[in-house]
Amino acid sequence: MRLPRPPRISQLFFLLLFLVLFLLTEYRGSDRIVAAVNGFFRADPLTAVSSMLAVKGYLPLLFPGLLMLALSLFLGRFFCGWICPLGTVLDLATDRIGKLGPIRVLQGRAKYWLLLPLLFASLFGLNVAGILDPIAILLRALTFFFHPLLGETARGGWKSLYGLLGDRRDLLDPGYHLLRDYLLPFRETLYPLAFLSALLFFLVLFLERYEKRCWCRRLCPLGTLLGLVSRFGPLRRIPAKLCPDCRACREHCPTSFDRELLQMDECILCLQCALNCPSQRVRFDWRGMRPETGPVMERRVLLGGLFGGFVLARTFRFREPEAQARMLRPPGVREEGEFLEKCVRCGECMKVCLRSALYPALLQAGPEALYTPVLVPRLGYCEYNCTLCGQVCPTGAIPDLAVEAKKREVIGKAVFDKNHCLPFAKRVDCIVCEEHCPIPQKAIRSELVEVTGFQGEKLQVKQPYLVTELCNGCGICENVCPLEGKSAIEVFAVKDRTPIPLSADAPSAPPSRPPGGASPDPYAGSNG
Amino acid sequence: MERRRFIKLLGLCSIFLPGSLRQLLAAQGPVVAVSQGSDHAAAARRAIAALGGMQRFVKAGQTVVVKPNIGWDRAPQYAATTNPAVVKAVVEECLKAGAKKVKVFDRTCNDARRCYASSGIESALKGMKNVEVKHLEEERFKKVALNGRVLKECELYGEALSADVYINVPVAKHHGLSRLTLGMKNVMGIMGGNRGSIHKNLDQALADVNGYFRPQLTVIDATRILTAHGPQGGNLADVEVLNQVLASTDMVAADAYATTLFGLKPSDIAVTRTAYQRGLGEMNLDRIRVVKA
Ligand code: SF4
Ligand code: SF4
Repeated sequence: MRLPRPPRISQLFFLLLFLVLFLLTEYRGSDRIVAAVNGFFRADPLTAVSSMLAVKGYLPLLFPGLLMLALSLFLGRFFCGWICPLGTVLDLATDRIGKLGPIRVLQGRAKYWLLLPLLFASLFGLNVAGILDPIAILLRALTFFFHPLLGETARGGWKSLYGLLGDRRDLLDPGYHLLRDYLLPFRETLYPLAFLSALLFFLVLFLERYEKRCWCRRLCPLGTLLGLVSRFGPLRRIPAKLCPDCRACREHCPTSFDRELLQMDECILCLQCALNCPSQRVRFDWRGMRPETGPVMERRVLLGGLFGGFVLARTFRFREPEAQARMLRPPGVREEGEFLEKCVRCGECMKVCLRSALYPALLQAGPEALYTPVLVPRLGYCEYNCTLCGQVCPTGAIPDLAVEAKKREVIGKAVFDKNHCLPFAKRVDCIVCEEHCPIPQKAIRSELVEVTGFQGEKLQVKQPYLVTELCNGCGICENVCPLEGKSAIEVFAVKDRTPIPLSADAPSAPPSRPPGGASPDPYAGSNG
Repeated sequence: MERRRFIKLLGLCSIFLPGSLRQLLAAQGPVVAVSQGSDHAAAARRAIAALGGMQRFVKAGQTVVVKPNIGWDRAPQYAATTNPAVVKAVVEECLKAGAKKVKVFDRTCNDARRCYASSGIESALKGMKNVEVKHLEEERFKKVALNGRVLKECELYGEALSADVYINVPVAKHHGLSRLTLGMKNVMGIMGGNRGSIHKNLDQALADVNGYFRPQLTVIDATRILTAHGPQGGNLADVEVLNQVLASTDMVAADAYATTLFGLKPSDIAVTRTAYQRGLGEMNLDRIRVVKA
């Protein structure tokens, strides 16, 4: 067995790092999460370029991505050969997959036809590059598909073991504990786009059937962007062509030596040629002669990209008004348009959301918002004291807020449906929603009212009502409403997401003693 | 043995003096030990000692469940969850009495990880030998037939059911529906399924569950109480510091006494009233012996 070479060591290191960071993207008893969990995205040049084009401004959070781009000018596509975890996965798998030979349509300019419309669409305010970003593809496959699957399997086994052994299972607890605490998701969430996420990942893998690193050299928009930059850089391989007397590179190069001339924009700096050259002729040098590689791209591609981007940006906008009512964005997001420009659809927020409140949008916000996070209160609610999604969002699409500020951010506003709500519809006590409302002053309150029961008897029932000004739309009320299926209280999106004023947190009145009964507050109903 | 002989003796007496026996029992009544002090752990210990000490409840080698209120993601000073110092003192007493294992858990309303951390209970018990602070595991819930008035059956937590000793350690606080939540309501922490649905008949449902499943000992944390905006509060203005811990073997009596701390009468609380009417314990303050500890 050959010793692993430096590029491979680096690849394995970064893949491991990626997986560790992935596992760390979880609440583990501390309110702050390791800042580095979104490091891969912050250092992702495609994320940086497309987001900054979309907002038409500089996003300091994404500086590492720009740095990486600058580095690539000098070092070529080293990111692809040394760092990118998706590339590493492909490298690890590719030898086990038989090859059929390159696909015709993917050769040539196909990758520019993909990258340019994406970038131009960003310029027109539609930032969808993240859908095809390799890091995002891998992360979403992990988040939405592999990790829940792993959790489901492991926990399922553990549960059935209980059925088999009963409390004797506890003898095995220590082992399972380790697994549960470090490897499994806290709860196995089923995500709506799990299938698509896995499909995209397997498609990338499937392309290996045709040639090595097929995705990387033929399609990947991030790789293409890096390739564009490295074309202009000074780094060259010497010799630039296959040597007539040997041609061994051809066998070893995973990307671009199927032609005579090395294409720097496809070379991923894996150094296979240098490491395997029988006569040790190959080296990489910054003062290398610039070989003729032909024009970067034809004007046709550029114009086509521009037009494509424009069309994308215009046609992806359609939104179903009905679905919009439930488009609840994570806390701190105030403006839908700005949010869409910044969100790279990486899935980090959904991974970290500790109540599994966030889910990738399907088409409810139009195709443009595919994979952006939406809060679905019936499935999970936004935990009052949690600020994790803002902490892990690499672009600041969800702002990283202090707890006190986040609590006042408005996600939406709750509304009662009196046709379903038990105290109104069935004239029985309930107010589980009031009990769970986390706002210290209670955005949901109740008043004791006298009603006539269905048998004509006099009844006293506590009827809930909403203090809309205090509601932050966290969704816990909708989540815990004991009705089956549809909740009797629902959170709806609102345009005006001005945070709840600070003064609302101050006690509205000294607590009355004894509690219950009449409370002297301005919102109490007449029968209060 | 002692006790059984005593009861036999009483039984024997009752044949001859039915009237005076009733009087005797009434005079005895259930005991509620009340201790006060700003050292909350010591206060809890004194209250338990006043009932005869933990060894009265826990025998060597037994498994004990200590069930505090860890229901909400709130720091201890908000009085929405049981004081960690009280919980720790109870756990330590159990260990001292020879418990083989002490399990501490609650079915939380907010995210369990956050509740366990914020309540301070997890960290207070961290590293203690033979003590487990556990999240609930769904598969351990067992359907039990209650045959109660409103609940025919319900799911209860297996580890609570199988424990040798169950010690209830609620915090005394306000509640929007039941007015107060005390010992009786704390049992909801071991109930599975859709708990919200029992709200429509809370007092009867709780009497059903508590009639079936009864703690050997109830220790009510009233070191600081939440007087409004319960059960989760969140505003220090609603919290009153009383520095009291109550303990009793009769949870209805413990609840009844705790009610007075809020300036209310036991009969104001439907849960207490119903439990009393159904014979689960004593609620008349003049029939409860209050021992200051
Ligand atoms: S949506 Fe709420 S609960 Fe989920 S991560 Fe964001 S802040 Fe936390
Ligand atoms: S909002 Fe969520 S999906 Fe979008 S960029 Fe931020 S963390 Fe990623």
